[in-house]
Amino acid sequence: MTSIPLPPPDCEKFDTVCQFCIVGCGYRVFKWPVGKDGGPAPERNAFGADFRHAQPANGDWISPLMHTVVTGRDGRRHNVAIVADRNCSVNGGLASVRGGGLAQTLYAPDRPTRDRLTKPLLARGDGFAEIGWDEAVDLGARVVKAVIDRWGPDAVGMKFFDHGGGGGGFENNWAVGRFFFSGVGTRTVSIHNRPAYNSEVHAAGDAGVGALTNAYLDARLADTIVLVGANSYETQTNYFLNHMVPNLTGESLDLKRSAFVGEPVAAGRMIVVDPRRTMTVAAAEAAAGKEKVLHLQIEPGADIPLLNAIARIVLSRRWHDVAFLRERTEWQTFEAYQRSSLGVDRPVDDVVREAAEIAGVDAERIVQAAEWIAAPKDGGHRRRALLHYEKGLIWGLKNYENIAAIVDLALLTGNVGKPGTGVSRLGGHQEAYVRPPAPGGRPALNVDEAVRRGETKVYWVGGCNPVLTTLRAEALEAALKERGAPVRAALAATVGQPVGARVTAIVEALKAGGQFLIVQDIYPTATARHAHLVLPAAQWGEMNLTSINGERRLRLYPRFMDPPGEAIPDWQILARFAKRLNALYLEDRNPLMANRFLDFDWRTDEDVFIHARYNFRGHRNDPAERYAGITYDFLRKLGNEGIQTPVRIVNGVPVGTVRMHEDGHFHTPSGKARFIPAPRPWPGYAAQVARQRANHRFWVNNGRVNHVWQTLYHHERIPFYRDRYPMPTIEIHPADAAELGIASGDLVSVFNDVGEVKAMAQIADTVKRGHTFMLFGQPRGAVGDLVSDHVDPATTIPYYKGAWADIKRIGPQPEIARAVTFLPQNVAQ
Amino acid sequence: MELNRRDFLIVGVAGAVGLPAFPRVAAAASVTPASASEGRVIDVAKLADVRPGAALSFTYPDPESPALLVALGGPAQGGVGPGESVVAFSQLCTHKGCPVNYLSERKMFVCPCHWSSFDPAKGGQMIIGQASGPLPQIRLRVRDGIVQATGVDGLIYGRHTNIL
Repeated sequence: MTSIPLPPPDCEKFDTVCQFCIVGCGYRVFKWPVGKDGGPAPERNAFGADFRHAQPANGDWISPLMHTVVTGRDGRRHNVAIVADRNCSVNGGLASVRGGGLAQTLYAPDRPTRDRLTKPLLARGDGFAEIGWDEAVDLGARVVKAVIDRWGPDAVGMKFFDHGGGGGGFENNWAVGRFFFSGVGTRTVSIHNRPAYNSEVHAAGDAGVGALTNAYLDARLADTIVLVGANSYETQTNYFLNHMVPNLTGESLDLKRSAFVGEPVAAGRMIVVDPRRTMTVAAAEAAAGKEKVLHLQIEPGADIPLLNAIARIVLSRRWHDVAFLRERTEWQTFEAYQRSSLGVDRPVDDVVREAAEIAGVDAERIVQAAEWIAAPKDGGHRRRALLHYEKGLIWGLKNYENIAAIVDLALLTGNVGKPGTGVSRLGGHQEAYVRPPAPGGRPALNVDEAVRRGETKVYWVGGCNPVLTTLRAEALEAALKERGAPVRAALAATVGQPVGARVTAIVEALKAGGQFLIVQDIYPTATARHAHLVLPAAQWGEMNLTSINGERRLRLYPRFMDPPGEAIPDWQILARFAKRLNALYLEDRNPLMANRFLDFDWRTDEDVFIHARYNFRGHRNDPAERYAGITYDFLRKLGNEGIQTPVRIVNGVPVGTVRMHEDGHFHTPSGKARFIPAPRPWPGYAAQVARQRANHRFWVNNGRVNHVWQTLYHHERIPFYRDRYPMPTIEIHPADAAELGIASGDLVSVFNDVGEVKAMAQIADTVKRGHTFMLFGQPRGAVGDLVSDHVDPATTIPYYKGAWADIKRIGPQPEIARAVTFLPQNVAQ
Repeated sequence: MELNRRDFLIVGVAGAVGLPAFPRVAAAASVTPASASEGRVIDVAKLADVRPGAALSFTYPDPESPALLVALGGPAQGGVGPGESVVAFSQLCTHKGCPVNYLSERKMFVCPCHWSSFDPAKGGQMIIGQASGPLPQIRLRVRDGIVQATGVDGLIYGRHTNIL
């Protein structure tokens, strides 16, 4: 009989925030001992609801996915239920498919999460042996010291999370930065999802414009919401459902009337720039009506001419915001922008026609987009447009100029720093960037290449899995394997010997081209297979952490259970290494180096949070992540509402920031925003990419899907998610599939000059002919195996979306076809 | 304890039905058996009256629990009748409890509140959407030409147990 225990009224209760996407929905955690269940009568359960009857729609309910049983370090077993918080303004009680399964991600020795890393592991023979923390830290620190001393700090390479939410947070990020930047001092650093240590929105930073400028409220207030390269129903779910949809349906009209007295208001419109007809397009049409949704289904790489053509139309029709341009922008940059990005020396119709050709959309629709963004409303009121972008733009043809094009459009139309406007990335993960200044230059060093070239002697990977996510992934994995082999042999030859002898043998292996790989994670990942030292970390719910969401909302995500085995928070791992390095350098009579590893004496999660608060000076010029005066106690009182950063002290009280740039100030020396002119109308394809396009038939667009998070590290373990995506899907247009004899569920090979990957076919009209879309980062097939090594030379950001390949059918998969649905994923009515 | 490197390779093992997630090898999917709740037996419809395309409303296991019976015209997991094509599901979306609609031309359930959709041929698997579970499937059998409901696989929205 299917049933779920109910939490008793006196159970432990915690406010927390989802560990997954940028939106950061509020959740409630209920924890109570097994056998001490509540009952269905209202006075006998924590909801106060009458479970003797079925709950109404939008009522209180614990689905089986929202419940688990955990075992503490003391062996005691507790029920844990995690349900969406109806009092949190971010999600208003809505769970996404990912957040609905938060309970299932918790460690339990008798459930699918049982294979969490619980003890440090050292490579031994073909496998690993469990070792103690002291031994692991001593050996690892001695290797790191030997490498710094012999080859210099840059020989210590790292790839670490820099994000918020699960596996991140202000606490862990600060420790990572303190250890590698001000401790080791290496410039060979990279961020979880890319080969370098760099902003994904350099152009916005150069313009003086924040990455996350608006409040989610602005999506309820905008006249027009623009989504470029984003699929928000699937990847910023409750921002879309709880804030954008009420605008599209007209539900937020009263709010608009009270916010904009004397200004005409109407239900919102939406423009979606996406090569696919996604669920976001379908859902927007269902909410707003088709006539209020404009889908520009562009060809790959067309963002720059498209956005600049829209801007050119705005300028030609004199819809630009003259007052904003005069008061808030550096006029010299505006002149340069008009000439080089907007082509003012050429007729507007030529510019628009050229953009239409490159983008593969009708010129009239580009004009319509310009009207929806900037045509004045009745009475001459400026239209309020909220411009959003994400990975379609960020990981597009040319990162720097892509971002410049949308930021410039926002400046031209004055759509930043005012209610109902903004120009912001939508975000993937949450944020929590506090670090000392990174020692690297710009453009940032490509660490993948440094690893492949043999320049790194230690490579330390924390909370990410580059074997599944990087570009030319197979080449990176081959380097990890090949360069790891001599180190593994050195360890095998010195089993049982004193640590000094072992380190000497390892250094000999490093001299011969070897690389010592440290992996710090929660699960035995595909990258960890090649490690020499594996360090078990705590996850979300097992430590206190803090993060901000896509509107900079800072909240506390409390610890409510023990980490498994000997796992400890990432910050503690790095603090242990720092203390050991400090002692080793003192023994070596090298106080200069020893001092670099001082100040790691944190005792609690909050100690790190406060240390970062006092020392973080802003990321470049953007103060978005500063949080003056905030303590855990303060956050606890604010619950899931939290406070929006940046936070400053006014009359002794911390005051948050609803939207950035509302004071008219931008992050430049002049305080005015700068246009970032594009050097040419369209950069075209880099040589590697052009070669792929010429030689292979299909564009392999790729990204996340609704059900699963990133590399599926939790979701490949949880049947509800795993059974839906047992392997990566590739969407293929029906006509293309018919030509290739491919049916939904078939196993196909996708291959090009970089590599090959296998996927299950999904025949779908989401994609145009010649286009495909593949789930990225799936453990059974990494799309990175097809992505060329081209990066934007200005930013070292890859063109992850820019792979072309051929496809051939391998054969049917009857079990997949029987178990997995292949019905269309863009039906909303 | 010594861990074999090959064991280490096998990430994501979830017991007997687990998928060894060899990162670069494709293999078949596994299906997790749903838990079932034994329930009352009620008559839903005469099999002869069940027409492909139409959705027939009934309640099960009690009057507070709306359900839909559909004939898909092709085989379905748990299907009964001609070609094992007749299936039934709780009508309450496992996201927020809104009643789902049946789109007969597409053979799918779609919730009008947040557009979660479910595949009646695949045990109510969510196609896309925000629910945290498949649509609970009503177990059926045919006795003397009558389609009968005999139980539910999965937990019906709004309940801590299917039989209140």
